[in-house]
Amino acid sequence: MTSDRPSIIATVLSVALTAAAFATVPLGAQSAAAIGRVKIATGAAFIVRAGATLPATPGLRLLETDSLETGSDGRLGISLNDDTRISLGPDSEVALSRYRYAPADGAVALVLNFIRGAAVYASGQIAKLSPDAVRLETPSAIVGVRGTTVALHVVPE
Amino acid sequence: MTTPRTRRTLPVIACLIASACARVSVDQPERPGQDLAVLLPDSHDGTVGRATVSNAYGATELRDARAATRVSPGQAPTPVETLPEADVQRRFGDALAALPPAPQAFTLHFLFNSEDLTPASSALLADTLQAVKQRPVPDVLVVGHTDTTGPPSLNFQLALRRAQTVRELLLAAGLDAGAVDVASHGEAQPLVLTPDETNEPRNRRVVITVR
Repeated sequence: MTSDRPSIIATVLSVALTAAAFATVPLGAQSAAAIGRVKIATGAAFIVRAGATLPATPGLRLLETDSLETGSDGRLGISLNDDTRISLGPDSEVALSRYRYAPADGAVALVLNFIRGAAVYASGQIAKLSPDAVRLETPSAIVGVRGTTVALHVVPE
Repeated sequence: MTTPRTRRTLPVIACLIASACARVSVDQPERPGQDLAVLLPDSHDGTVGRATVSNAYGATELRDARAATRVSPGQAPTPVETLPEADVQRRFGDALAALPPAPQAFTLHFLFNSEDLTPASSALLADTLQAVKQRPVPDVLVVGHTDTTGPPSLNFQLALRRAQTVRELLLAAGLDAGAVDVASHGEAQPLVLTPDETNEPRNRRVVITVR
C-alpha cells in the first residue's frame, strides 16, 4: 500500500492542476488536455464545447473537438500547441475536429472543418513534421498543405 | 443553350481580350455552396508554400501568392486564378487582422559547465522580453541544451537548470509565472553534431520560443 501512495498523490495533484487549469470550462471537459489557447478575440467570438457556448476570451484554453464561432462583429485568433495558427473573420465557424501533437511518439494529426465564413490557417510543426497529417476540410473539398498560409471562404448552401 | 464547347471557348476569348491573360480574375460575388481557397504568403517572412485543393471530381494545385480556386458541390475545383489583393482584403481582411503573430525563437548561450549566460546572450534577453510583451496572451517555452561533455544524465540536469535560470530571469523581469514553461533536452538535440565528450559552445544553449 505504501508504495502506491506517491502515484495516488501524483494523480490527485494532476487532477487538481487540471481542474485549476480548466476552472472556467463546464464539467466533463476537465480531464482533457489543452491543445492551444485563444490569443485574439473581438466582438462576438465564441468557443462551442460539448453543446455549451463559452465566450472566447484571450487566454482561454482550447480542447480537441471545440468549435470556433464568430458573430457579425466578431474576430477570433487562436494558436495551437504545435504553433499552428487559425483566425476567423465575422460570421464564421471552424471546428477543431482532430488534434494530436506528440512528436516524440510520432503521433501528429490536424483536421479542421471550415463550416462557414472566412478563416485563415497558418501551418505549424505538424505540417512541417508530416504534411499528410494536416487536412483542411470544406463542404466541397479537402485542402492539403505543404507548409503555408491558406485562406478559405465558405458560403454554405 | 450553352454547349460544352462554347463554355470552354468563352474564357479563351475573354483571355485574348484581357491584358493579363487568364491569370488575374475579377472576384465573383459569393455564391451559396461555393468555397474559395487562396494561398497566401506567410505573414512573418513572405514565403509561399503549396496547397492542393481536391475532391472526388478533381484537384487544383496552388503554388503562387494569391493563387485561388473555387469549389462547388459535385464539381472539380476550378483552374487556378490569381485573386487580386483588394479581394483578399475584402474577404479575409478581418480574419487576417486576427491571426496571431508567428512564433519567434531566441537562442541564448552559456559558459562552459555553467548556468551563467555569455555576456552577448545576457544582452539578448532584453530582446526576448520585448518580443514577449508585444504579444497578446504570450506563451513562452524555455528549452535547455548542453554539449556532449560529461554523462547524459548530468547533462539533462544541467540543461534543466539552464532553462530554469532563464525562466527566473524572465519572471524577475516581470513575466507571468503561468506563461513560462521549461523543458530539458539534455545533450540529445545538439545544434552542431559532434562526437561524444566534445566541448562545443554553440550547443550550450537555451532556446526560448515565444508564441
